[in-house]
Amino acid sequence: MFEAISNNPYRNLRAPRVGLRRLRPALPALIFLFVFMVVPLSSLLLLSVTKPETGLGNYISLLGDATYARVLLNTFIIAALVTLVTLVIAYPVAWLLAILPSRVSQIFFAIILLSMWTNLLARTYGWMVLLQRTGVINRALMGVGLIDQPLPLINNLAGVTIGMTYIMLPYVILPLHATISGIDPAIMQAAAITGAKPRQIFWHVMLPLSLPGIGAGCMMVFVMALGYYVTPALLGGTSNMMLAEMIAQQVQSLLNWGLGSAAAFILLAVTLVFYAIYVRAIGLGRVR
Amino acid sequence: MLLNLNRMGPGRYVLYGIGVLTALFLLLPVAFIAALSFGSSQWLQFPPPGWTLKWYAAIFNDPRWVESIWTSVKVAFTVMVLSIALGLPAAFALVRGKFPGRTLLHAFFISPMIVPVIILAIALYVFVLKFGLNGTFIAFVAAHLIVALPFSVICIVNSLEGFDESTEKAAIVCGATKAEAIFRVTLPAIRLGIFSAALFSFLASWDEVVLGIFMASPTLQTLPVRMWTTLRQDLTPVIASVSTLLIALTIVIMIITAFLRRRYAR
Repeated sequence: MFEAISNNPYRNLRAPRVGLRRLRPALPALIFLFVFMVVPLSSLLLLSVTKPETGLGNYISLLGDATYARVLLNTFIIAALVTLVTLVIAYPVAWLLAILPSRVSQIFFAIILLSMWTNLLARTYGWMVLLQRTGVINRALMGVGLIDQPLPLINNLAGVTIGMTYIMLPYVILPLHATISGIDPAIMQAAAITGAKPRQIFWHVMLPLSLPGIGAGCMMVFVMALGYYVTPALLGGTSNMMLAEMIAQQVQSLLNWGLGSAAAFILLAVTLVFYAIYVRAIGLGRVR
Repeated sequence: MLLNLNRMGPGRYVLYGIGVLTALFLLLPVAFIAALSFGSSQWLQFPPPGWTLKWYAAIFNDPRWVESIWTSVKVAFTVMVLSIALGLPAAFALVRGKFPGRTLLHAFFISPMIVPVIILAIALYVFVLKFGLNGTFIAFVAAHLIVALPFSVICIVNSLEGFDESTEKAAIVCGATKAEAIFRVTLPAIRLGIFSAALFSFLASWDEVVLGIFMASPTLQTLPVRMWTTLRQDLTPVIASVSTLLIALTIVIMIITAFLRRRYAR
């Protein structure tokens, strides 16, 4: 009898376990993230309402003080500007990639990947050197005779916009390319047969059909840009400081932990709100 | 017609133009740094007055650069191993478990990708200062592991979802123990997912700047932190040569992944 059981070929095949036991393999990762992410973030939240004194004082001064409010406004303006410029460049590129023969588009994709995978500081350094007063771009423009004086391209809005657009382009080109390639050409043929002009087909058929890709790409870039630190810190100027820079400065240099954490939570809240809109509109499945 | 190059009319030349300009824009800083790193001008003149390898020699003659490279390698390697060790079982639980809140747990595991990294950085900064861990190897590994883990979970979950669990059950029916079935059937089948998880975890750590800035001390710095502190002082050509080495590494990794993809696509 016992032998019969031990010879049973199905002996190792247990019935599917239901319930929390199946959660067990995830525990190490869960505990790690809890200790090193949830606990630090929670204590940061606590700091923001207890230092220097208990209350919402930090949040009130952040939103009330003109200097801080301007940083907040700047952050939104720069993020929106970068998103817009990126979209305007990315749309035609994604369109072109969707219709080019795959041999040619593969080369383009390799260029996109190369720029995307190159170390962030390396890329930013490249722009710092290119954009400086005596840099190649200013010299080239002066050499051609377009300008007499070097343009101020760095440590200002222009510098941040160029540097961030460069970083964000792949994040819009790739989802847009997927959407545009997915459009059924027959729909556009139908529009053409029924007498629509190319311009009308673009505005009334192609653009609306590519809206999901536009939405996904823009939202991603906007949210990423809101919290960006390295590029604005190196290419931007003091007069258009962004929120992330201000947080770092308050915490690291000014030791103003309370105010810095409050600013961090404003950034987190804004990020999560936009992220929620994104998930609502596109669905969690697409985010993964 | 709008999706067919030959029938698009003159409009396509506009697209060509934008495409070529964008490609040049994307290549510009990468190619420029590479050229600059061989230029002899201390003041980053371009085109350079002469060519030299002295900026490369400068990296390897300066113990601070060598040390930071070594620190980066050690941190990234540790992060890679831990990221698989934590991410692999977590992915199994996420794909195969049927417990309440599974979607929520999945969202939690990828949440470090959503939280702006500057917020994670200052939260950890305050946290490690409290425990006197600032400037330690542990602090770097813990910080980098947070941002590496989502990559590991995503890659392994994706490949595990594509693996039919009945293959593993078949092995068990044929007499394998559960562990044997997992190690000899399931893991080899999802090895490409595990490999990508390892690669992305390594790269996430290797390229991490912001967390590093807040974890570093003057005595322990990763390569990106060293680049950052140097960049804040001046635009020395040594950064160009370090960057070029990093770009070369990127190209090597791209070729390897392209090669692997082609091999496995068959």
